[in-house]
Amino acid sequence: MNELATRLAARYGARGWHDQRADLATIVLDADRLRDALAYLRDQEGYRHLSFATAIDNIERGVFTLVYTLRSHDKGHSLIVHADIDRQKPVVDSIHLLWAQAWTYQREMKEWYGIDFPGSPRVDEEFVLEGWEGPPMMRRDFDSLAYSDATYAERPGRATSDPARHMKEQLYPEAAE
Amino acid sequence: MDIKDFIAPFAVWKRAFEKPFTVKKPIDERPGAPRYRGFHINDAERCVGCGTCEAICMNKAIDLVPVEGREAKEGDSGLRPRVDYGRCCWCALCVDICPSGSLNMSNEYLWIDSDPDVFRYTPGVDKKPWDGAELGYRRAEGYRLLDEQRVPMAELGHREAVKSFLELVQGYSRAQAEKEADRCVSCGLCIASCPAHMDIPGYIKAVREGDLDTGLRLLYETNPFPEACGRICTHLCEGACSIGTGGDPVAIRWLKRYIADQVELSAYAKALPRAEPSVGKKVAVVGAGPGGLSAAYYLALLGYEVKVYEKDGEAGGMLRYGIPEYRLPYPALDKDIGYIESLGVTIKRGVAIGKDLSLSDLRRDYHAVYLSTGLPVAYGLEVPGDKHPRVLDGVAVLAAATRGEELGLGKRVAVIGGGNVAMDAARTALRHGAAVDILYRRREEDMPADADEIREAKAEGARLIEKSIPVEVKDAAGALAGKAALFVWNEAEMVQKEEGKRPVPEAIPGALREELYDSIIAAIGQGPDLSYVTEEDGVPMKRFKPLVDARGMASPGASPKGGAIFAGGDLVNDRKDAISAIADGHRAALSIDRHLSGKGA
Amino acid sequence: MKKEKLRVIPPAERANPDLESGKYLLMWQGPQHPGITGNMSLKLIVEGDSVVDCETHVGYLHRGFEKLMERRLWMQNFPLVCRIAVPEPDFNEYCYAAALEELAGIQIPDKAVWLRTLSLEMIRLASFLMWIGGQAGAFGHGTIIQWSVTMRDYVLDLFEELSGGRIYHMYIIPGGVRGDVPAGFFKHVLEIMDTVQKNLDDIELVMFHNVVFKMRAEGLGYIPADWVDHYGITGPNARAAGVARDLRKDLGYLAYPRLDFKTIVGQKSDAYERARLRLLEMYQCIDLIRQIVDQCPKDGPFREKLPNPLYWKIPAGETYVAAECTRGEYGFYVASDGSDKPRRVAVRGPSYTHAVAVMERLARGVNIADVAGLMVSLHTYPPEIER
Repeated sequence: MNELATRLAARYGARGWHDQRADLATIVLDADRLRDALAYLRDQEGYRHLSFATAIDNIERGVFTLVYTLRSHDKGHSLIVHADIDRQKPVVDSIHLLWAQAWTYQREMKEWYGIDFPGSPRVDEEFVLEGWEGPPMMRRDFDSLAYSDATYAERPGRATSDPARHMKEQLYPEAAE
Repeated sequence: MDIKDFIAPFAVWKRAFEKPFTVKKPIDERPGAPRYRGFHINDAERCVGCGTCEAICMNKAIDLVPVEGREAKEGDSGLRPRVDYGRCCWCALCVDICPSGSLNMSNEYLWIDSDPDVFRYTPGVDKKPWDGAELGYRRAEGYRLLDEQRVPMAELGHREAVKSFLELVQGYSRAQAEKEADRCVSCGLCIASCPAHMDIPGYIKAVREGDLDTGLRLLYETNPFPEACGRICTHLCEGACSIGTGGDPVAIRWLKRYIADQVELSAYAKALPRAEPSVGKKVAVVGAGPGGLSAAYYLALLGYEVKVYEKDGEAGGMLRYGIPEYRLPYPALDKDIGYIESLGVTIKRGVAIGKDLSLSDLRRDYHAVYLSTGLPVAYGLEVPGDKHPRVLDGVAVLAAATRGEELGLGKRVAVIGGGNVAMDAARTALRHGAAVDILYRRREEDMPADADEIREAKAEGARLIEKSIPVEVKDAAGALAGKAALFVWNEAEMVQKEEGKRPVPEAIPGALREELYDSIIAAIGQGPDLSYVTEEDGVPMKRFKPLVDARGMASPGASPKGGAIFAGGDLVNDRKDAISAIADGHRAALSIDRHLSGKGA
Repeated sequence: MKKEKLRVIPPAERANPDLESGKYLLMWQGPQHPGITGNMSLKLIVEGDSVVDCETHVGYLHRGFEKLMERRLWMQNFPLVCRIAVPEPDFNEYCYAAALEELAGIQIPDKAVWLRTLSLEMIRLASFLMWIGGQAGAFGHGTIIQWSVTMRDYVLDLFEELSGGRIYHMYIIPGGVRGDVPAGFFKHVLEIMDTVQKNLDDIELVMFHNVVFKMRAEGLGYIPADWVDHYGITGPNARAAGVARDLRKDLGYLAYPRLDFKTIVGQKSDAYERARLRLLEMYQCIDLIRQIVDQCPKDGPFREKLPNPLYWKIPAGETYVAAECTRGEYGFYVASDGSDKPRRVAVRGPSYTHAVAVMERLARGVNIADVAGLMVSLHTYPPEIER
């Protein structure tokens, strides 16, 4: 596989090849080389199957990390391709022409992370979050618990006690905090 | 189209004459499988209300609620889990993790009601038809989410141990400590049992996360003797540990020691709080034991000028003179004391109050005085012949050992008593090459000493003679007269005199035994020495103890007559252990601060 | 006439019908339509009784699992993941557990490997049994579902006996499995396999040699083999098109390398072929289950000890673990940042492409009455699309 790493490095500046398992490796690219590299992997290297595509919000680094998982059935090998994009300007090339289902993943990423894929079919349409008005919900800075607490009422009658605090109140209330 | 495609479907008509697959009215008689994850059951007696079920529940379906008729007590919060079936997903992780194993599931799955709010109950408390169900989900044998086994502590073998005064317990390595800390479930049941109410889950978390500075800071919030307590504490916390309900309790004491051992004394100041600016007031402490120094530490932190008066040559009190160095090596104790001194606490060693200075001198020169003089005087055997020169006092023997004096115990030693001092004396004698008998008037299980101490004393070769009531000490005959003594005891049996009280030993008539010993060490208890307290100090006494109020104050004092008197430690409390003295010292420091700053009224 | 129909390939481009013209009708099939699988809906534009355009709409079952998982401890997600594909919870449990074990460097005992395989094959059979009822029902054949769901219930009885739950088994736990097989369990398994097999023989006669089913299913929803990579099609949908891919063989996970089975492939790639292929895979399941019962170690540990689940941290890293479920490639992508909660869990369900991109294209030109049958012939579960 290291020959592949070398070729990807030479052609697309790919780096950080990591063998997670004998049949799974990960690699990192610049986002602007992504579509060409994926097309190359599909057409020249036998990675013809797109398992899925998604993103990770690496908010600490100010980026969304894209995750494209490809599989070559001939080699019996899967390859996860990563690329970082700026969290403030999350736009990346669409691959809907490479794989016929890719637009669905892109539509999902648009809705869940706010990542835009210009030209991707129906990319601005609602996917699973019909009527959702909040921010893209998979972003790390969207606090789903706070949202839920603010939106829904707790069931009445629920109250819990912390054992240590309860014992202090019962057994030694005089102790200083 | 094939003709078969028209005919084949009719072929299954033959099944019309076979036994059908379906079952009649299955709902009437369809119990869940033996492993079915149905409604919860809880053995409320075994449950200790630790809340681990609540912690693991990913649905927040479990609340811990107070239960009528169940009070909080040692090792039991008195709370019990209540399950909200509007949220429960029947995953049974609560069953898998339950430390005591009290929480299980029945195989009952039917419960119909028109009121949606009733599907919430406290298993084992609110009566349900499936209470006590034999069938239902139980975690598989040998399978649980928590580790019931403690990380073993490396210790010197008993054969090696008796040859020297080297420390027995070797301490945890980092990997061991983190693994042991991982066993804790942070329930906090232990906090109430600790006399100092240390933040035990907090410092165990610090160990787990490798943040020892935070760990040390948490230790010092309530206890300035982590090195000492990490070794010799009576660890009541471990008796309350919820993990102990289904396995070995978490080794809380060893984890405390691990933190203190790992941080160098020179790095303490970086981790621990600085003293407040001086408030311009002075406090005297009498007795540099753990209680007195604890008070001194917290007073110094609050900005008081503190001077500690110690009659002995070294500070540490019973930690130094009462506990042998194989349990608490002096460098460890010196580290604790050294840090307290580094905060500006002055320890006047070799100054006895009542001899070199009087209590009224202190009251005149200081704004407050804290008495923490402990129990230095050993009780005698109170039998004929107990003034024989070979009848020794346990505390004195241990102190002499600390001072490095020649003990001259001889070859055959009897230790009379069943407390920790007796065990320490016996094990010290063993290390001096003696054969040791421990004689105790009740049974082994009645002995007040820590179970570990008893077990180790026996393992090191001491012989335990139970149910032996001292009768007399007789001088040895002939050449040995004055150099050895015969100890005479009466064999006893345990008699249940009053229902509900513990049985008492009663001498069996005629069953007298005697044995010749080179030394007889009496370790049957100690009393206070309050000769330095005079009537004019106005300290109320009850049963030879200073009577103190909830703040630890014994005498309010009034200007110009003198500063207020506070007292604590073994002198006052009934627990008579280091951690209680430390807790008393801490409490007294806060009370003195309130009193002197005028916040106390 | 039939022969021509076999080779109909729907246009790649969407029609752009003028809805104002009065020539077309917009109709929704689902989410509550009985002919649709689960809570999903198809927005159809029809001309007469044929579909001109189809859009898949999902979201009626969105529960935000991937978001929820990011706030829960690693072990707390174990009871959560099974809900992502209701009829086949065990694949979620397996993929999640295997991903965690890989990241944490845990080897599970051999017995756990076998019991996991057993659990996965049993649920494959149960899921196919439910599917076959739906497939027959979509073509108006209501008897099959009564039989097959009864058979499925027998398999669920086995799960109840093994794991304590019928639907959500929560049996494949990180570290191994939750319990050993109860006494007499294997005997029950074999008895029920005999019953199911006998029933499958009947279903084969009634359904697959049935002129109505044949007329309606043959030629419906033809998937050319070259779509497989282009659309990411996996599982029986790919195998029926002659593409021999089965992750049980290709990845060789769990005990599959030690089991004797061949990848079943079809050729005609229409609804009938896919249904027939799934029927054969059900027989294959029964055969595999018998092999597993035969070879499974009788004793030994079934679970590795894990750290305290309240504080379990998994070293930073990422992995993708896939398994062959009834519908194809089911996978969990798990990324850890070294903390006690996942950084990201992404679920790859085969329905993601089958029910959206593939269905939308295959529906073009299909008779309205066949839409449900076509949908079921792709065997899709909406919850794994929206998660």
